[in-house]
Amino acid sequence: MMAATRDLELVIRHVLAGLGHGIHAGRERGAGVEFSEYRAYAPGDEWRRVDWKLLARADRYFVREAERDSHVATWLWLDATASMAEPSRELKGVDKLWFARTALACVAAIAQRQGDAFGLAICSGGKVAFTPADRGPRHLQRVLARLAAARADGLPPTAQVLKSSLHFARAPSLLFAATDGLDWHGQSGPSPLSEALLRLRKLHHDVRLLTVRTRAEVEAGFPSGAAYRDPEQETGLHRFSKADRAAYLERSAAHFGALATSCRQHDIVHHEACIEQPLADVLRRWLQKAGAR
Amino acid sequence: MTSSYPWWWLALPLLLLPIWWHRQKRQRLDAQSLATARFLPAAAPQQLRVWQWRDRLLLLVRCLLLVALIAWLAVTVLPWRGDTVLVDAGADQAWAARQIADAGMDGARRIDLPPDALAWLRHNERDWRAGARLLIVAREGQIGMPARTPQFGHAVELRVQAAPNVPPAPATSPVSHRVALSAAPERVQAWRALFAAFGQAGDGAQRYVIAGAPVASTDLIVWDTPALALPADWRAPHWWLGAGSDKSWPELGKATTITINGVKLRYADSARGRLWTSAAFPPQDAETARALYEAWRLLAVAPAPAYPAPSHKFAMASAAADAKPAYWIAWLLLALFLLERSLTHARRS
Repeated sequence: MMAATRDLELVIRHVLAGLGHGIHAGRERGAGVEFSEYRAYAPGDEWRRVDWKLLARADRYFVREAERDSHVATWLWLDATASMAEPSRELKGVDKLWFARTALACVAAIAQRQGDAFGLAICSGGKVAFTPADRGPRHLQRVLARLAAARADGLPPTAQVLKSSLHFARAPSLLFAATDGLDWHGQSGPSPLSEALLRLRKLHHDVRLLTVRTRAEVEAGFPSGAAYRDPEQETGLHRFSKADRAAYLERSAAHFGALATSCRQHDIVHHEACIEQPLADVLRRWLQKAGAR
Repeated sequence: MTSSYPWWWLALPLLLLPIWWHRQKRQRLDAQSLATARFLPAAAPQQLRVWQWRDRLLLLVRCLLLVALIAWLAVTVLPWRGDTVLVDAGADQAWAARQIADAGMDGARRIDLPPDALAWLRHNERDWRAGARLLIVAREGQIGMPARTPQFGHAVELRVQAAPNVPPAPATSPVSHRVALSAAPERVQAWRALFAAFGQAGDGAQRYVIAGAPVASTDLIVWDTPALALPADWRAPHWWLGAGSDKSWPELGKATTITINGVKLRYADSARGRLWTSAAFPPQDAETARALYEAWRLLAVAPAPAYPAPSHKFAMASAAADAKPAYWIAWLLLALFLLERSLTHARRS
């Protein structure tokens, strides 16, 4: 049902309703916060924050804006390379990109509710598309629109592109990265993507990594006998027969084992998820892991 | 042109061609996208060929088209024979030539009369072109009268040479065979002894009357004088020729050899009658004579049909129905061809 919905906001409400409040680590909200100013109502604002007396006087909706903004920005990092287009072989309409962007949209919604500034970086087609960090429901709409417009395409950005893109690294921030982890290691050593995340971590950013895979990828459940092509490589064919299954599982486990080890060494919160799992569960576990630290 | 229609079925292995052509060759284009393909072993495109067939509907239609084409060729008979005379080799050649000229078939192709000529003709009639005429020239007794008038799609005329009227011998008296003997003086005795022995061997039921020259009822002429000139008017159903007669009898060049009871005989048909020759003529001892007697009894002339067919002109019946199945196969062929072209076009576009 959720996969058929193109409306990210609807999905977010559905997921967050199941998630409950107060999951997000440590950010206070609500009571005891000083009143700061009024501002015009915008779609997405909670009804209880509308000043009803002012509505009676001015015949317009105003929202009480409180002085409770945290100084920590939240960054959402979406991997939208070609490999993210891999669809689930069990659930129709679900692919890795859908899962990753929906999870990040939920994080954005949570950040918005908590009054955090949040920005978005989408790695696609060798480039990084930035949406600067900001607050408020309008910004949430903008971020959701960008997320919804993201297409899985091309290769991950190169090291130069990433280096010039890390301008948000000045102030300590919270970085939620959703990827399939396949670009973690390049042909020789760590890839620019993983190096960028590790550098951010060294700069004392709180990096939280979500790796999404399909169950078929995890269990080698795709049909044997057919030829396969890597979407991020133009040439070269790969075969898969029953005899190749063990080797596939071994190489896959080695790759993701190295990824997990690397995250552990650099104190990066890492959660592995299958896109066939319920999104609310995955989100809760991911955020809980972060909160447990 | 020779019609060899059943042999067309041997072309059925041609079906392997479309089956081979439709084998999956370009697996490369059909490779599926898989994000984790990098964990799989790389493969050359050749290794990814599998025994699959693409465009199976088109393959089916093409196979059906080929089968229909072969079937059509196999059942379709292309008539190739024109005017034909079926000549009985044993018939009087002069009489036969007269009959052929009388029927206006001088230029017609001549073939030997097959056994059971009317049934053979009925069976093979589709070989003849539509306007062809047929003439059968035969001795009486060679063609049995069928119970019902055969229906031919062509004009068939049967001309039968009347047999010399032989009064049947009384049943009680022994059957007498007239033998004309012409042999060298030193062999005459041997031949006479042989026929005397033949007469004894048959318990007296068979009598062999030996004369110096044949009459109309003579069954057998023994000609053991190759040096002498043959009288032109000597005719008999059977001739025994002494050894070494091949020079004066050119027909023996095409003789067929048979061995019965250890006696090796060669025979050939000629205008004068059937010629027999053997190295054992005349037999020199009793054993050979006995073997020859047994062989001759086994070779006794096949009985003539009880009711020989007389001369007759068979009216042309309606067109033969044999060519009918070819029509619907031809239509099927056309439909399959159109379907095949449409499918090929749809596949390309």
